[in-house]
Amino acid sequence: MAEVRQRYAGGMAGKTLAAEPRFAGDGSQVRRNSHIVHAVGKGDPQVYAGRAGPPRFRVGDAVTVRELPVLFYTRTPEYVRGATGHVAVVAYESPAPEDETWDHPDATPEWFYVVSFAMAELWHGHTGAAADTLRTEIPERWLEPAG
Amino acid sequence: MADHQGHDHDHDRTVKPMVDEITDFEVLEIALRELCIEKGIFTAEEHRRFTEFAEQIGPAPAARLVARAWLDPGFKALAIAEPLTASREVGVDWLEPTGFGTPSDFTAFQILVDTPTVHHVIVCALCSCYPRPILGNSPEWYRTPNYRRRLVRYPRQVLSEFGLYLPEDIEVRVQDSNQKNRFMVMPMRPDGTDDWTEDQLTEIVTRDCLIGVALPRVGVTANVVVDTRPAMHPSGE
Repeated sequence: MAEVRQRYAGGMAGKTLAAEPRFAGDGSQVRRNSHIVHAVGKGDPQVYAGRAGPPRFRVGDAVTVRELPVLFYTRTPEYVRGATGHVAVVAYESPAPEDETWDHPDATPEWFYVVSFAMAELWHGHTGAAADTLRTEIPERWLEPAG
Repeated sequence: MADHQGHDHDHDRTVKPMVDEITDFEVLEIALRELCIEKGIFTAEEHRRFTEFAEQIGPAPAARLVARAWLDPGFKALAIAEPLTASREVGVDWLEPTGFGTPSDFTAFQILVDTPTVHHVIVCALCSCYPRPILGNSPEWYRTPNYRRRLVRYPRQVLSEFGLYLPEDIEVRVQDSNQKNRFMVMPMRPDGTDDWTEDQLTEIVTRDCLIGVALPRVGVTANVVVDTRPAMHPSGE
């Protein structure tokens, strides 16, 4: 970084930003994401299709978001923890972000669901329109049947 | 910053930097890029290709998709059932530029269709995930905590700040795209557009309409406010 800064010391002077690597390295030994092997032509999450078994929930099922302990990474919003809604869409199969973030090669895919919540029930002190809803996606491990 | 319409000039050669000094982030980016090339993580050619991809994406394909769906019920059905196929028909392949999609946009695209009783609006409360391949880069306000935190809690207040007021009997459906699905909104076709061509309809489907913070209106072809009060003392006086 010091070298780059030195190159532009005294102002840009009309020069444009340019990368000036000293050489081009050999990339054949770089450990890479396995998607380039498995997912080309399919995409992510399609590459995980068929690997999660049958979905536990169906469209219309009433579900409650579990309050699991989270030590590291999650993408389940805090504002839906403990909330009850219904399954709007059985979306796709994928490793849960809690596993995927560690890049484990054997992370097991699970089903993801778009869950619909009534705003009036989701938020304490909601004074807005009664019909408003919120939808967000939640992996199966975070859901349990409601009631 | 102004929205970028499609250019075909090279920004590096024609846009002057706004300040004369190199910024810390630019230093970091150049240094990191050089290091990656030296380590063989990617080549300069690959970087150029990805940069060009990122710079050419914009909301035009999505606007055309909506316009075509308004005119052709068969295409609208395709957009609902097979959004990736419909994207390809407007020139967007969600698998590009890697062949398996981008690391942050994925390939699970869904189109949310507004009805007379449901109005959709999208947000990513966690970060600001956005359907970049078909909509381009997200606007600055979409990335702010102001929008992300408040839209999920007070959607109508936030929409009113964009000038969008909806009757209480319409359901406002906030879609928080927190995982791999990416969404865009297909708004309803406004009145006053009978006999319009696909090109005319495409013009009024702005990026804000595709996010859900605006509704398409006859005569409104941009997200920015251009209707300003004339000067009290114009400079010619």
